[in-house]
Amino acid sequence: MIGNLGQKASGWIVNIAIAMTALRTNLMRSILTTLGVMIGVFAVTLAVAVGSGAQVSVMQSINALGSNMALVFPQPDTGEGGRRSFDRGRLTMRDARAIEKQISGIDDIAPQLRTNIQLIVAGRNASTNAVGTTPGYGKVSNLVAASGRFISEADVRSAARVVVLGPSVVTKLFGDYDPVGETVRINRAPFKVIGVLESKGSSFGNDNDDIAIMPITTTRQRFSGDTLAGPDDLQMLFVGFEDGVSLPTAKREITKLLRDRYRVRGKDINPFTIRTTEEFMKESAQVTGIFQIVLVAIASISLLVGGIGIMNIMLVSVTERTREIGLRMALGAKRSDIRNQFLVEAAVLCVIGGAMGLIFAIAGGTALTVYADFPVPIGVGVGIGAIIFSAFIGLLFGGYPAVRASRLSPIEALRSE
Amino acid sequence: MPAGTPKQMALVETQDLVKNYVLGGETVRAVDGVSLSIDRGEYVAIMGASGSGKSTFMNMIGCLDIPTSGEVRIDDIATGDRDGDALAELRNQKIGFVFQQFNLLARTTALDNVAVPLIYAGLGSEERRAKAKAKLGEMGLGDRLDHSPAKLSGGQQQRVAIARALVTDPVILLADEPTGALDSKTSEDIMQIFQTLNDQGITIIVVTHEAEIADQAKRRIEFRDGKVIEDVMIKKRRQTSA
Repeated sequence: MIGNLGQKASGWIVNIAIAMTALRTNLMRSILTTLGVMIGVFAVTLAVAVGSGAQVSVMQSINALGSNMALVFPQPDTGEGGRRSFDRGRLTMRDARAIEKQISGIDDIAPQLRTNIQLIVAGRNASTNAVGTTPGYGKVSNLVAASGRFISEADVRSAARVVVLGPSVVTKLFGDYDPVGETVRINRAPFKVIGVLESKGSSFGNDNDDIAIMPITTTRQRFSGDTLAGPDDLQMLFVGFEDGVSLPTAKREITKLLRDRYRVRGKDINPFTIRTTEEFMKESAQVTGIFQIVLVAIASISLLVGGIGIMNIMLVSVTERTREIGLRMALGAKRSDIRNQFLVEAAVLCVIGGAMGLIFAIAGGTALTVYADFPVPIGVGVGIGAIIFSAFIGLLFGGYPAVRASRLSPIEALRSE
Repeated sequence: MPAGTPKQMALVETQDLVKNYVLGGETVRAVDGVSLSIDRGEYVAIMGASGSGKSTFMNMIGCLDIPTSGEVRIDDIATGDRDGDALAELRNQKIGFVFQQFNLLARTTALDNVAVPLIYAGLGSEERRAKAKAKLGEMGLGDRLDHSPAKLSGGQQQRVAIARALVTDPVILLADEPTGALDSKTSEDIMQIFQTLNDQGITIIVVTHEAEIADQAKRRIEFRDGKVIEDVMIKKRRQTSA
């Protein structure tokens, strides 16, 4: 039995040796055929990697928001129907306080007013997005002051002219210098820099560090213009929950509370929209999933073309070697021996092409990660998958020529010139 | 058929063997009801003009071609009810082929060429090398093991082919015009090898159209129009070939 297995293994080794001889004999042709598979495997591997990189990237930016959170917007929730001009959204600071008081499991809340500001210091200037908020923002958004401090309740109560700067803004205005305690002019008014945020890097080319944070009361007094319906209105409310809180339940409770507050009944449209991080994750998983499928589908076309190239060359090879096939049959080769010989030849072509495609994909992926700041993870699994898949392509497209070779009649094959 | 041949001794036996070809809508009867038997240890020359059916007959007893009707028995094994793979096994174990054009694999060493049938016999690589080396040694090519066919003379190539035919220790050696591509001196060498092999007890069947080659055999069977027209024992004149 063991001897039998040994014979089988040695039969495959012989087939590989025969294949290598045949491929070496037509070196140029073999290389060109391999090239087709190489490009195909390169494209598919890179597409898979880019797709999962996108997924990782999106998940990272959602996680950066804070993992267990609901976002409330003053936009009418028209569902699939689109927004009607007469629907007006509302969300006020009083709503925020009501939510904080009446909904259970809340860790912290952070109302938000965003506005573009111009910062000037000693002749240098920078423009950035200012978030007017409360101390809770630090907690729900995972923001920490790397030096100095975050805004405090006292700052909010007194509408203090203080600002916490993101690292990118600091670099633009101060270079390497730690600006805590310095004064910057924001839209002509002097503000004290009380802290610098820890870096959160960038996601999708979006610089998360290009930001300034100030008390919401300050923003309202100095910058909020006519965009809001009332003096107490918010642009957005972050509601951070404790671990283990069910987001769908929390969303239902907040919806009910706000509907009561705005006296919305029956099928009337809510003047607010609630989205949870869970929903964001699901949606982006869906979107990146589709993105990945499309990408892989397009890349697969090149692999298909490579496979057809394999089939073409194998058919040529079978035709050219008809006499050899006849001879081998005369010497005792069974159909399966002939079939396996050509299958192995196709598989060897494909695996060599696949390995080279994989190497180029790893190089390309690394280049994308390094130069385009886009994570392209090519794991061991993808690598092994690429090699197995290319062998499979060889068997698939080499199958027909191989079976055709094995069905030749020995005498007709021997007689062919 | 020579009279008095006991049936149970027959190594190759054919019964009403027929092979038809359809060419351009017309049926050509290449072999037309041939019944004969060849015993172990015989040296047979099959002769006939081109198109006489001798090669078709040879291909059928070599199990390379399937008869239209009739039967071929090799070493008391009926071939009619065997499928392609079983016939491949039979060829591998019982029959050695020598072709006019040698049919060696190009860019493959003499040793690897001789070892090919052993691959299909399922032998491991060590055993294959050892057996192939021994056979090439017997053919006087012990110093040409690593030569590819392109680096060998015609006679040497045919000797590699004979070594390949014999490496599985078959009971029959079938040679189709084995000297057709060789000069007369080399032909004589090859025929000498056949003579020696036959003396060692190997049954040899040679298809040829050359009378001198046929004269080396012990028995001559002549084909015409798909039928055996002559089947005679030849008196040996050993001194001429020795």
